Amino acid sequence: MSHGQNFSRRDFIKISSIFLAGSAAITTATGHAFSGADTPVGDEGSKVVHSFCEHCFWRCGIAAHVRDGKVYKITGSDHHPLSQGKLCPRGTGGTGLLYDPDRLAHPLIRETKGGRQFYRKASWEEAISLVAEKLWNIKEEHGPGALAMLHHGYGVSFFKNMLSQIGVNKYAKPSYDLCCGPARQASVLTYGYPSDTPEGFDMKNSKYMVFFGTHFGENMHNTAVQEISDGIRNGAKIVVFDPRFSTLAGKAEHWLPIKPATDIAMMQGLMHVLISENLYDKAFVEAHTVGFDELRDSVKDMTPEKVTEITDIPADAIRTVAREYAFHAPAAFVHSGRRTNWYGDALQRIRAIHILNALVGNFWMRGGVVKFEKFPLVKPPATHEHPAYEKEAYSKYPFFPQDEPSNTLASHEIIQETIAGNIKGLLIYGVNLPETMTFGREKAIEAMKKAEFVVAVDVLPAEVTGYADVVLPECTYLERYDDLDNGRAFRTPFVALRQPAVSPMYDSKPGNEIAKMITDKWGIHGAFPPSVEKGLDKKLRLVGSSLEEMKKKGVLVMPETDLYRKQGEPLNLNTPSGKVELASAQMKAAGFDAVPKYTPQPEAPAGFYRMLTGRKPMLTFGRTANNRFLGDVATAKENEVWVNNRIAEKHSLQNGEYVHLKNQAGVVSEFPVKVKVTQRIRTDAVYMVHGFGHSAAKLTWAHKRGASHNQLISRTDIDPAMGGVGFQNNFVTFIKEA
Amino acid sequence: MLATAVNEIVSTKLNPNVVPHLHIWEWHIPLYLFLGGIAGGLLVITSIMIVLKRKFGIGPRDQGDGCPCLAVRIGSILSPTLLGIGMLFLFLDLAHPLYVWAFYTTIQPTSPMSAGSWILLAFFPLAILQAMLVNKRQLRSFNIEPVNKVIDWTENHMTIVALVNAHIGVGIGIYTGILLSFFSARPLWSSSILGMLFLVSGISAAAALMLLLAPKDEKPVYSMIDANAIWIEIMTVGLFVLGGLTGSANTHGAMMHLVTGDVNLAGMSYMFWFWGIFVGAGLVVPLLLEFLEAAGVHIKFPNVAPVMVLLGGLVLRFLIVFAGQTYHTFM
Amino acid sequence: MSNKKNYGMVIDTRVCVGCSACVYACKQENHVPEGYCRDWVVQETGGEYPKLTMENRSERCQHCENAPCVTYCPTRASHYAEDGTVQINRSLCTGCKACMAACPYDARYVHPEGYVDKCSLCKHRIEQGLETACVSICPTGSLHLVDFNNMDQKTKTLLSGKVVYRQKEHAGTEPGLQWISASNKHGA
Repeated sequence: MSHGQNFSRRDFIKISSIFLAGSAAITTATGHAFSGADTPVGDEGSKVVHSFCEHCFWRCGIAAHVRDGKVYKITGSDHHPLSQGKLCPRGTGGTGLLYDPDRLAHPLIRETKGGRQFYRKASWEEAISLVAEKLWNIKEEHGPGALAMLHHGYGVSFFKNMLSQIGVNKYAKPSYDLCCGPARQASVLTYGYPSDTPEGFDMKNSKYMVFFGTHFGENMHNTAVQEISDGIRNGAKIVVFDPRFSTLAGKAEHWLPIKPATDIAMMQGLMHVLISENLYDKAFVEAHTVGFDELRDSVKDMTPEKVTEITDIPADAIRTVAREYAFHAPAAFVHSGRRTNWYGDALQRIRAIHILNALVGNFWMRGGVVKFEKFPLVKPPATHEHPAYEKEAYSKYPFFPQDEPSNTLASHEIIQETIAGNIKGLLIYGVNLPETMTFGREKAIEAMKKAEFVVAVDVLPAEVTGYADVVLPECTYLERYDDLDNGRAFRTPFVALRQPAVSPMYDSKPGNEIAKMITDKWGIHGAFPPSVEKGLDKKLRLVGSSLEEMKKKGVLVMPETDLYRKQGEPLNLNTPSGKVELASAQMKAAGFDAVPKYTPQPEAPAGFYRMLTGRKPMLTFGRTANNRFLGDVATAKENEVWVNNRIAEKHSLQNGEYVHLKNQAGVVSEFPVKVKVTQRIRTDAVYMVHGFGHSAAKLTWAHKRGASHNQLISRTDIDPAMGGVGFQNNFVTFIKEA
Repeated sequence: MLATAVNEIVSTKLNPNVVPHLHIWEWHIPLYLFLGGIAGGLLVITSIMIVLKRKFGIGPRDQGDGCPCLAVRIGSILSPTLLGIGMLFLFLDLAHPLYVWAFYTTIQPTSPMSAGSWILLAFFPLAILQAMLVNKRQLRSFNIEPVNKVIDWTENHMTIVALVNAHIGVGIGIYTGILLSFFSARPLWSSSILGMLFLVSGISAAAALMLLLAPKDEKPVYSMIDANAIWIEIMTVGLFVLGGLTGSANTHGAMMHLVTGDVNLAGMSYMFWFWGIFVGAGLVVPLLLEFLEAAGVHIKFPNVAPVMVLLGGLVLRFLIVFAGQTYHTFM
Repeated sequence: MSNKKNYGMVIDTRVCVGCSACVYACKQENHVPEGYCRDWVVQETGGEYPKLTMENRSERCQHCENAPCVTYCPTRASHYAEDGTVQINRSLCTGCKACMAACPYDARYVHPEGYVDKCSLCKHRIEQGLETACVSICPTGSLHLVDFNNMDQKTKTLLSGKVVYRQKEHAGTEPGLQWISASNKHGA
């Protein structure tokens, strides 16, 4: 036993396959859920377990069909408001994760022998003891501020509770920094409440939907896609500003291939037309907003002609969109999108979107902007009085959320603090850090090597697990209870249950058990209920239900709420003015522009192209990268780099040939990527789906498929206001295969 | 430069049998079609030789008993033998060969494959009978009672047997082409001239085979038959190509895919295989050689021409079966 | 009203986003082996930049009324079922693959277990009164299972006034899948 000596410097360890599921003793239980039987079988002799999905943050309701202890089919739950019986590919693909032969099967502990580092299989008792001891010692020696958690996924609540018990309050949710943070905070600043999931737009009743860069249909947010489809059937028009002809652009009345990074200019141009042509909703602006004069002045010079020069979109088109938008208002909206961190000015961009919405008076109107309600779950009395330090805000960014105890720091702050030596212990839950776009791959690895102790809780041997001192194999969401899902707001407020469809495979355990075991080791009792079931039951009894009742349908649903405002009623928003803030005094006070202003972003060096990213509808980046079931269609097997046909000609690239990509900092993609020659993208940008090109050999499916988008991010632009990470100022060129 | 307006099509389909193009038949089927064509051709030639000899006294010498020459005797045996081997390949191509009996539980007149499976069945009794009758002297020497009986009952009807066989032979020859013609979803195959082409190609290949096997004094007859068959085949190929080129965009495209195609087959393009190997080496050169030989020019290696013809016939089957699959489905 | 069923599909490409949920649901429902599919999604982009058009559609066996696969099948393995669909009787299929060459839609494949397989329009589900797996999963509501002999009002309304086409109709196959074109104007 020599662990302990080498914790401050660690090498990446390739996990030996004997610790993985594929070669574990219980191989009979694996195999492919999707092959075999010679005749299609009905659902005789099966049971249906209602739960919710974990393949993306949307958390749709699923119905897991189980026979002989195996999940053989997953369909959309009829009861769950977000799925309504429908499901995207990833939901169905849960079996591909559950029966992934590469799954982590045992706890692993890093060992060093003769200068060589390797993992050895450990018992839970041993692994838990080690984790408890290490975390405790760091806390004792350096204080709880030397511990931090990076997390992604719904099972985290137990680890959050566990760490809170010893006073840890450094929690980062990379999804905030990389994805939805700006939308959340722009909503707080403009409307006084955070944006939610599903986003607050009355899509199915809308007549005119404007999208900037977001691409529903490629990101399969089930409910949103259902509602957009309803909208299309009801005759809604769609407008898409996107450098790429996305699937959603394919549905659009107007596809406007905007020059990347100029969106704010376009938004200002639209505001200019709305105001200069008197198309905006004067009554609403007067009664319910503040800062109109400042806004008007700020866009006075942003004429369509000027915006054309910046954005490449004809002035006529800008006028047309603004006029049509105003014509259809209030049943019209500009959508705030989902992955909103693009250039480090995303907070202002989303603010501009909210202003465009407010200008046409669609706020809380049918077909416009709405606020969905959450199920009023009663919080049980705290089992533990949290120490005062937990309430300190840590992030240095002025508009970082102050109201999210599980997201107190930006992930890049944690990485920097770890590199600086302030954070010494890391718990990484469900975040594949080297492939997460937080601060580039190099920095992530540097931080993990620098930390004294790293524990990774994961389902698969993703890259991150190679840098941990202890790897704890969590079972999948189909094998465990988690906390109640009360995080989603919708037309019919609801609370959902995650319950196991089958018992944990191999030597994996649910997060709730792992966290409780560690807390028990610390001698802290009562932090968790005696069993996860009892805890859930207690919470549900507070709202007049029970676990037993909840297990039947997996969801408690309230009647539909009224989403629309009444004429003449004040809005009483939770902003400083109580109104919609077109100009934000808060931002001004913090030294930022009170109204959004376009600032140019760097241009690509000659022969380089701006690297845009997105996703394929059947994949969610790391969550699905190794999913063989989802990988089993022709378009899911690898990512391609989309190259405009004229650019392809210039670089002599053939459709289907493989190239390496090189970015502006000289980083060359580890693996080659297939060229897709297409008219569907502008000549100044290329596009590649994120989440491919995995280097971890134990992800036997994902390994070497396509190229890693993350690897080519050398430059990040941190939003100085809300702390998000923009990474679209990276440019690539092509290296042809010899 | 303006981008050319070509539709970009992305499909999630995987199925290896149809993506990126039809891929259901490999070597088994072309080989079967080739052997079937030769079998048909052999039956046509041998039966006509029998009829000519017995009815009109035309043809090489016999051994005095009305039985035809040596080549006919060998050819009559080879015909059912080669077809049997061909059918073995057909059988091996089935994804579920154990269910082969299912062919004979029904007659599906609209399915050439069903009709064919019955024709094949009908072929054997008479073809074997012919093989027995032309070789009756040898057979009798084995003195096997049932064999002797069969010969006793039928030897006086050899002409009729041969006459019927001539028709069956033509049927088999045409069938090997028609089998493909019926697939209207495959534009290259969807041509009825294919039946004629495979028939004459089968006859010329059969003549070439008999030319190789015949004793020196019997050779000129088969050389002549072969030359004539090649001549007709060249005409038929011309019509086949013309029919394709003058057809709809689909048919035209499919024919161009064959005759100017750059798809690689065993190291050479379709175009090279078609013009260089099949037309050039398999038809024109052997026709020229046989013409020269008939004109009295001494050919140093007389076996070269018939071997080339056989090769050409084999290449034709492979080319048609492969190019028909690699071209896109009917649009 | 007719007592005889004639099942097919109406596929609304205006809303389809090509997510492939139908493909995966089918694979799971029908135990389609790895590397194969009974249905698939096509994304077709036309026009010239920046005036591009797109159609997404979920494709499968067309359950033709005049099905070349049935015509060509030597053993009656491919046959018309009572409900207007085209089915395969595995215990008669020799795997001769003639049906695959005959199908203008390339809807079939050779199952590794030695028979030709394709979309059954989830016959086993229709018999239980359920919709097909693909129809029931589709988040956009693009897919509709329709009995063309007894079309309900909803389907009639859906089709009314729209550009509706059938694929390769000139092949004479009388396909049982009808497509609402993505070229339909908004609110058509």
